[in-house]
Amino acid sequence: MLKYIIPTIMLMPLTWMSKGNMIWINSTTHSLLISFTSLLLMNQFGDNSLNFSLMFFSDSLSTPLLILTMWLLPLMLMASQHHLSKENLTRKKLFITMLILLQLFLIMTFTAMELIFFYILFEATLVPTLIIITRWGNQTERLNAGLYFLFYTLAGSLPLLVALIYIQNMVGSLNFLMLQYWVQPMHNSWSSIFMWLACMMAFMVKMPLYGLHLWLPKAHVEAPIAGSMVLAAILLKLGGYGMLRITLILNPMTDFMAYPFIMLSLWGMIMTSSICLRQTDLKSLIAYSSVSHMALVIVAILIQTPWSYMGATALMIAHGLTSSMLFCLANSNYERIHSRTMILARGLQTLLPLMATWWLLASLTNLALPPTINLIGELFVMMSTFSWSNITIILMGVNMVITALYSLYMLIMTQRGKYTYHINNISPSFTRENALMSLHILPLLLLSLNPKIILGPLY
Amino acid sequence: MNMFSSFSLVTLLLLTVPIMTTSLNTYKSSNYPLYVKTTISYAFITSMIPTMMFIYSGQELIISNWHWLTIQTLKLSLSFKMDYFSMMFVPVALFVTWSIMEFSMWYMHSDPNINKFFKYLLLFLITMMILVTANNLFQLFIGWEGVGIMSFLLIGWWYGRADANTAALQAVLYNRIGDIGFILAMAWFLTNLNTWDLQQIFMLDPNNSNTPLIGLVLAATGKSAQFGLHPWLPSAMEGPTPVSALLHSSTMVVAGIFLLIRFYPLTENNKHIQSITLCLGAITTLFTAMCALTQNDIKKIIAFSTSSQVGLMMVTIGINQPYLAFLHICTHAFFKAMLFMCSGSMIHSLNDEQDIRKMGGLFKAMPFTTTALIVGSLALTGMPFLTGFYSKDLIIEAANTSYTNAWALLMTLIATSFTAIYSTRIIFFALLGQPRFSTLININENNPLLINSIKRLLIGSLFAGYIISNNIPPTTVPQMTMPYYLKTTALIVTILGFTLALEISNMTKNLKFHYPSNAFKFSTLLGYFPTIMHRLAPYMNLSMSQKSASSLLDLIWLEAILPKTISLAQMKASTLVTNQKGLIKLYFLSFLITILISMILFNFHE
Repeated sequence: MLKYIIPTIMLMPLTWMSKGNMIWINSTTHSLLISFTSLLLMNQFGDNSLNFSLMFFSDSLSTPLLILTMWLLPLMLMASQHHLSKENLTRKKLFITMLILLQLFLIMTFTAMELIFFYILFEATLVPTLIIITRWGNQTERLNAGLYFLFYTLAGSLPLLVALIYIQNMVGSLNFLMLQYWVQPMHNSWSSIFMWLACMMAFMVKMPLYGLHLWLPKAHVEAPIAGSMVLAAILLKLGGYGMLRITLILNPMTDFMAYPFIMLSLWGMIMTSSICLRQTDLKSLIAYSSVSHMALVIVAILIQTPWSYMGATALMIAHGLTSSMLFCLANSNYERIHSRTMILARGLQTLLPLMATWWLLASLTNLALPPTINLIGELFVMMSTFSWSNITIILMGVNMVITALYSLYMLIMTQRGKYTYHINNISPSFTRENALMSLHILPLLLLSLNPKIILGPLY
Repeated sequence: MNMFSSFSLVTLLLLTVPIMTTSLNTYKSSNYPLYVKTTISYAFITSMIPTMMFIYSGQELIISNWHWLTIQTLKLSLSFKMDYFSMMFVPVALFVTWSIMEFSMWYMHSDPNINKFFKYLLLFLITMMILVTANNLFQLFIGWEGVGIMSFLLIGWWYGRADANTAALQAVLYNRIGDIGFILAMAWFLTNLNTWDLQQIFMLDPNNSNTPLIGLVLAATGKSAQFGLHPWLPSAMEGPTPVSALLHSSTMVVAGIFLLIRFYPLTENNKHIQSITLCLGAITTLFTAMCALTQNDIKKIIAFSTSSQVGLMMVTIGINQPYLAFLHICTHAFFKAMLFMCSGSMIHSLNDEQDIRKMGGLFKAMPFTTTALIVGSLALTGMPFLTGFYSKDLIIEAANTSYTNAWALLMTLIATSFTAIYSTRIIFFALLGQPRFSTLININENNPLLINSIKRLLIGSLFAGYIISNNIPPTTVPQMTMPYYLKTTALIVTILGFTLALEISNMTKNLKFHYPSNAFKFSTLLGYFPTIMHRLAPYMNLSMSQKSASSLLDLIWLEAILPKTISLAQMKASTLVTNQKGLIKLYFLSFLITILISMILFNFHE
């Protein structure tokens, strides 16, 4: 694993020693090279995981997320160039360092073998994210957003620490690989219920579960573009990843503890997509659509069937790329119009036709057009919920309709119609932006050719 | 050597060539439309070879290649089903598309993005081919959603117009409601039969197949604009006329019917589903025919007539005659596409005037278009020995002689006579009488692109029914004997419709309603359907999302319960326990008191 960690660490001196005009190109190219080397992880022999050392391992669940993490760093760097163009050099370097630090923590989180180690890194990712949001956000509400972000996730995950220490005392090990063989079924008692809640809540808040999702729209809206991208693409998936890992040791409590949370997610999925229909703020709309998609993932993980696990992993990757792309598109509008309000940026198809293509593709993947991997994820989740309970198909179907509606509403609002007069003199889209969008959409399209590499360990 | 599979694949692959060469220079040249049109005509010719072989030998075939995924016990691979339905439909669709492409070269010639338009049309055709030839439900779903999205893009082609965007969104919305049914069917087949392959589903032939079939009927209702989910089809006329001719008359709207025909091995033993489709179809065919009676927009009339014909196909499935329904799909494609093209020709010549009240006397100015329109209308009404006759007459006969619901039969017969009425109305208002359009308009239909494309479909409307029904392998045995009055019912109601319409039109030509009657209002306002469903439901839904989901739950309750309460509690607690309250005046006052007291004490020291 050091072959990914050390190069990532070395990106920091690279950034600090680069000349002013070279910082972006240097950091972007090198991080892109690192992400290419990470593709080697796809080579998973057999059903076992790749154990690199006593601390790090990767299996087919963590590998796609890991690759997504490394893939996203160059994209974040490309996306935030304009945002930082007015800052001085030291601050630019500091910003890049924060992104690199975040990637470092994320790599280690996804490959951690010990649960405590995982927990520490899980919390550590908060620090660079918080700095990115509160330092480089655009408006003063960013402080409030940072506060919400920090307190929701911290308060959610503190019980997990207690639970982990307890498990360490009882079982004697928190090693993922060993735990699955050693762990005893939990007995049916009140303390087990609290244990279950303590273990799951940290991740449910992170996902976020409906009701605990308030931090997400705020953080997404206030964060700079890189922050929004990494939040939507990876930090939310940490929750899903944690849930998938920790449900192993929570049997058989999940079978009945899942009911209220599945209900809440199914309900919240429709509520949040309805909210999307009434959003005037582009970034807020995308943030709420993330909540709605993540609710599907929560449902899938809690149902605990092979199909639903496959759906959850596929949907996480698909949504990571799609929502990150949508945030990039929203940002490219923001940089031209200087407002997130949708009604101020209408009819852009006339002015930026290539950008309109990216918008179209992003909206279509967001509404899960077959045969994209978004559809594969959603379809698998729907299939497994249908076999869990037949009537959930009504809720799922309603959500499917609303998702299509708000995705296309977003597309029509921003791209179609007459353009407004104040956008007559906007700058054309840069090659950098087009490259950024194509680097998002290419993996999405290519993965639909061979989706089995992102279907997780149960495939 | 068996050329069956290779020629089928060549047909499908040929269509992708213009898409693949998008990045080359051909896409930038002005010859791209011609190139696309020629490709389609080649594809039509190659597709005729396997079809001829199929007609000759009756041999069906499944091409299965490229193993995509295996999830536990479910294998998904790229597979094409070349059976009776796809073998017959592919050439018909290609032939019609070929003409429509040529027509759009004329109709869209001044559009700056004409190359993109052709690419969209071709992409639509490809998704339609995927839908038709798919052998498993997943692949069918790819085509199913693909045609939906392409229809969104094509309806919203003139994206500057708000109406076009609304219509496009409406089409997606209604189609998505139908998709719930499709997903339901997929989920049910997966959990209960563990397969998405059509053969396996038919082989296992589940007994309690109500749930998935209702799902499929819902899907067909959405895609084929059946009653309840029909309003998107007339709205879709906002798109360019070639789009209406291709998507909304001959190919995409029949996809729902095609889906039900595909699943006929399951429906043919299920009486519930048959009654549902019969009643749904009968309501649709009558309701939309009624709406067509009073429309003034020529494209809207033809759109409603399409909806009505699709309803008739649904009725045919309801009386358990899937092969007849399929025959009607094939014949209907010719004359309905041609009717749209004729209307496009008239609209284009009259400077984008769609109102039939402002036409009139076109038979002098546009003799060829007039001929085609009249032949198309006659074929539509089922005039003997034109194309429509071979399917429509059989359908009515089959309905007349089957043990079916008399109510549904009556609805269908009334709708059949209405077909004649609104056809007469178009002919009467647009073609006959005195011109009512502006005298400055320069009408010219002498463009080879226009004439040839319509001519090809005109020949199709005259002979296709004869050719197809004389060549297809025998399917269901038609009713051989029946009383005179049953045999002639279809003809009689149609002639009745014609004469009635002509008489009434002649009589009331110069009369005017003092106040509109209720029946008239019902018909012009499309059965009050848009008023109710397009105002009330979205309004309630959107105000629910604004008021309860967004404001009440998200912005007030969820925020008040967790963060605000906690911060409030912290604040109260901290102010309660601390000594420092920041009350500067009081603190200074306390200084004053001490100073005063000390002063007093000092003063009265003695």
